[in-house]
Amino acid sequence: MQLLNTLLIGITAGSIYALMAIAFVLVWRSTRVVNFAQAGMALLSTYFGYEAVSRIGSFWVALPVAMIGGAIFAALVELILMRLLVKHASSGAIAGVAPIIATLGLLGVIRAVISMIWGGQDLRIVAPISNDGFTINGSTLVFSPLKLLILVVVVILLILLSILFQRTNLGLALRASAHAPEIARLSGVRVDAVRTLGWALAGAAGAVAGLFQTVNGNGTFSPDSIEFSLLLVSGFIAAVIGGLDSLLGAVLGGLFLGITISFVLMYVSSGLFFIAPFIVLLTVLFVRPQGIIGVKASRRA
Amino acid sequence: MLKKKHAHKEKKESTHLFLFILGGVLLYFLSGWVDELRVYQGASIAVYVIAISSIILLTGYSGQVSLGHGALMAVGAYAAAVLRIEYNLPIILCFVAAVLVAAIGGALLGAAAARLSGPYLAGTTLALAVGLPSLANQFTVLGGEQGLLFDVGFPPLALGEEFTQYKWFFWIAGLAALISLWTIRNLLNSAYGRAWKAGRANEVAAQLAGINTARSKVLAFTISAGIAGLAGALLAMTIGTVSPSAFPLALSFAVLTGAVLAGITTLGGVIVGAVVLVIIPEIADLIAHKLGSSESVITNLPGLIVSGLLILTVLFVPNGPVEQHRARKAKHEALLGSTH
Repeated sequence: MQLLNTLLIGITAGSIYALMAIAFVLVWRSTRVVNFAQAGMALLSTYFGYEAVSRIGSFWVALPVAMIGGAIFAALVELILMRLLVKHASSGAIAGVAPIIATLGLLGVIRAVISMIWGGQDLRIVAPISNDGFTINGSTLVFSPLKLLILVVVVILLILLSILFQRTNLGLALRASAHAPEIARLSGVRVDAVRTLGWALAGAAGAVAGLFQTVNGNGTFSPDSIEFSLLLVSGFIAAVIGGLDSLLGAVLGGLFLGITISFVLMYVSSGLFFIAPFIVLLTVLFVRPQGIIGVKASRRA
Repeated sequence: MLKKKHAHKEKKESTHLFLFILGGVLLYFLSGWVDELRVYQGASIAVYVIAISSIILLTGYSGQVSLGHGALMAVGAYAAAVLRIEYNLPIILCFVAAVLVAAIGGALLGAAAARLSGPYLAGTTLALAVGLPSLANQFTVLGGEQGLLFDVGFPPLALGEEFTQYKWFFWIAGLAALISLWTIRNLLNSAYGRAWKAGRANEVAAQLAGINTARSKVLAFTISAGIAGLAGALLAMTIGTVSPSAFPLALSFAVLTGAVLAGITTLGGVIVGAVVLVIIPEIADLIAHKLGSSESVITNLPGLIVSGLLILTVLFVPNGPVEQHRARKAKHEALLGSTH
C-alpha cells in the first residue's frame, strides 16, 4: 500500500513537472534559450487565475484565464525582450550567457511587479475538488480526487499538444522552425511568428503547472514561495533528463523525476526535499549526459 | 626592446601594488570620517566586491556561468562559524578555513561543471542554490532554521575605546577585499588567466595550443568558489549569524547582477557593481517617498530597479559601463593619433 501511495504521489508531482518541462522544451526549441523566468511567468499566470477565481468563483474559468494570460505574456516577452536580445547581444564576450542573465532579470522584474500589485502575503486558491485521499477496503490512500483530476487534465493537454504537433500544418511549421529555421523560412514558414507561438504555448503550459502546483500543495502562494523556485528547478531538470529538445522526453523526464523524488523522500529521508532534484540532475548528467531521448552534441551547445 | 618592455611591466606591477596600498590607507581614513550606517554599508560593499570578483573570474574569464554562488558562500560561512563555535579558532583561521572548505566544494562542483556548458551549467548551479542551504536543517551541528551565531569578537583594545564594532567589520572586510582583488588581478594576468581567456574564446584553439581546458575550468571554479566562501564568511560576520535564510536564491542572483553591472569581462569595474547593489535600495527609497508610494511599492522598488538595470545592461552595454567607456576612449584616442 505504501509502495502504491509513493508511486501515485510521484506520478502526480511528475505530471506537473512534465508540464513545466514542456514549457522549457518549447522555448528551447523555438529560440535556443533556457528561460529561467519560466517559473516567474507561471507565478504571474497563477495570480491571473487567482483574480478569475475571486471574481467569478470557479476554478474551471480560472484555468483557461490563466492559460490565456500566460500565453499572451510569454508572447510579449518573446516579441520585445528576445528579439532585442538577438539584435543586440548575439555576439561579444558574453553572448553565451546573455540570454541566461536576461531571463533572470526578467524573473526579478516579474517578482517585483507582482509584489507591488498583489503584496507579499500568502494568497489562497481553493481546489475545485477534495484533496482527501480515496478509501479502498477501509485504508486511506494519499491519492485523492484532486490528484486524479490533475493527472487527467495533464493527459488531455498532452494529447491536444501532440495532435497540434503531429497532425496540423501549424505543428509542422513549429517542428520545421525548430530543426531547420533557414529551410523552413525558404519554404514560406513565418519563422518569427512561429517562434512567438512557441513561447505562447510554453506560457500556457507553465500557467497550468503553476495553478496545479499551488492546489496540489497547501493552496497558498506568494511572490517568494519556494514552491515556484522548486518548480523552476524541477521543470528544468525534467527537461534535461528528457534531452531538452523532445516533448516526449520532457514528459518521461518529468515522470521519472517525480517518481524518483517521491521514493527518495519516502524511503531515504524526507529532509532531502530540496536537494534531491540536484542529486538526480547530477546523476543523470554523469550517467547519461545526452538525456533519455536526445543527441549528445546538443548538450554542449 | 624586449628588456625595455619587461622593465615597463615590472614598473606597472609595482604601481599596482602601490595603488592597492594607497586604497587601503584611503579606506582607513575614510572609516574615521563617515557615520556608523555608512561604515556598515562600506563593509557590505567590501563583501560584495569579493563575491562579484569571484563571478568575474569564473564567468568573465573562464566563461562558466554560476547561479549557485550563494550556496558556495553559505558553505564558507558555515565552515567559519562551526570552527569558531566548536573549536574557538582565531578569526583569521576561520576565514582561511572558509576559503579552503568552499574551494573543496567548488572543486567537486567544478568537476561536474567542466562537462557542462551554458544553460546546463546555469541550471545545475541553480538547483544547488535552491537545495544546499536547506540541507543545513538536516544537521544539528549546523543549527537548523535558526542557524549559528558567528561572532568575530570585539575590536582589539589597542584601537581605542571609540572604535566601534561596525568599524571593525569594515576594516576586516575592507582588508580582505583588497587582498582578494590584488590576488585575483595577479592571477588573471598570469598564465592561468590567459589560459582561462583562451578557453573561453575558443576551446578547440586553446587545446591545440596545449592548454588542458578541462583542468583549467575546474581550477577556475575551485578558486572562484574559495573566494565566494570568503565573501560568505564575511557576510555572516556583518549580520552576526549563519542561517539558511541568509543565503537565499536572491543572493546568488544579486551577486551575478552586480558582476554584470560591473562589466563581467573586467575586474576594473567591480567596485561599481558593489556600490550599485548597496546604494540602490536607498535611491529607490528616496524615489518612492518622493512619489508617496504605498508600502509594497517601497519594499519592491529596489528589486525592480536592479532587475531592470540587469536587462538593460545585457541589451545595451553587454561589457559593462566601465569597459564601454574605456573602449570609447581608446577608440577616440586612436582616431586622434591617426590624424596627427
